[in-house]
Amino acid sequence: MKKSGMKKEFQLHSDLSEVQNASAKVLAFLKPLRLGEGVLFDIRLCLEEALINAIKYGNEGRKDLKVRLAVEAEPREVRLSVEDQGRGFDSSKVNDCTRAENLGKAGGRGVFLMHQLMDRVKYNAKGNGVLMVKLLNKETRAPKQGK
Amino acid sequence: MDVKLYEDDGVTVFQVNGEINISSSPDLRKHFEKLSSKKIVLDLEKVTYVDSSGLATLVEMLKKTKSKGGILGLAGMTEKVKSLFEITKLDKLFAIYPSRSQAVSQVK
Repeated sequence: MKKSGMKKEFQLHSDLSEVQNASAKVLAFLKPLRLGEGVLFDIRLCLEEALINAIKYGNEGRKDLKVRLAVEAEPREVRLSVEDQGRGFDSSKVNDCTRAENLGKAGGRGVFLMHQLMDRVKYNAKGNGVLMVKLLNKETRAPKQGK
Repeated sequence: MDVKLYEDDGVTVFQVNGEINISSSPDLRKHFEKLSSKKIVLDLEKVTYVDSSGLATLVEMLKKTKSKGGILGLAGMTEKVKSLFEITKLDKLFAIYPSRSQAVSQVK
């Protein structure tokens, strides 16, 4: 791939059935990076969690609202940004899903996984957009195939 | 995602094949609700992907089983899927076994 990196943008309808299609397109876009299965799993999971949150909670499932997705890839990192057209939310108010009293509850695990599996997660001031960065190194590359 | 059900040594083995995600979770829940057994092993060996909706569905299945006085064990997870349980501390909530046979012998 070019050292200057590559970028692609997508726009999704607020429809959960579009989530897996969008993540498949992003993974196909990242194919030239020859990433390992583990890092591709992490990228897919965090991207899908962010898209689901944007559609379900950000745009509240309103079909007239869109979700913007951008992916940028450079030799040393992958950046994913997801932005909805909702009112935004305060990520600091998400319950810690790992606390004993929350383990049996449903909420907060998606955002928690995004923070754990990505190297950097940053919300915009309004809270309707998130940037996730995954750093790439030797360990994140797929092993070379034998000749 | 598809599900196979069979009995092993008095335990109902609920074998899931594919992904447990926001699309497949409702189906998984429906299959599970039909079960009357109180001793259940969820064989996840062939599960390739789980998202937070899938994790929440598994938690719900565990709670329902416990509310009936039953036992539910998870078995055969791939390293990647297991790591999600460890990261989210759900490994403290579930009984997790390396293989289906080990799970069956503990749950029976």
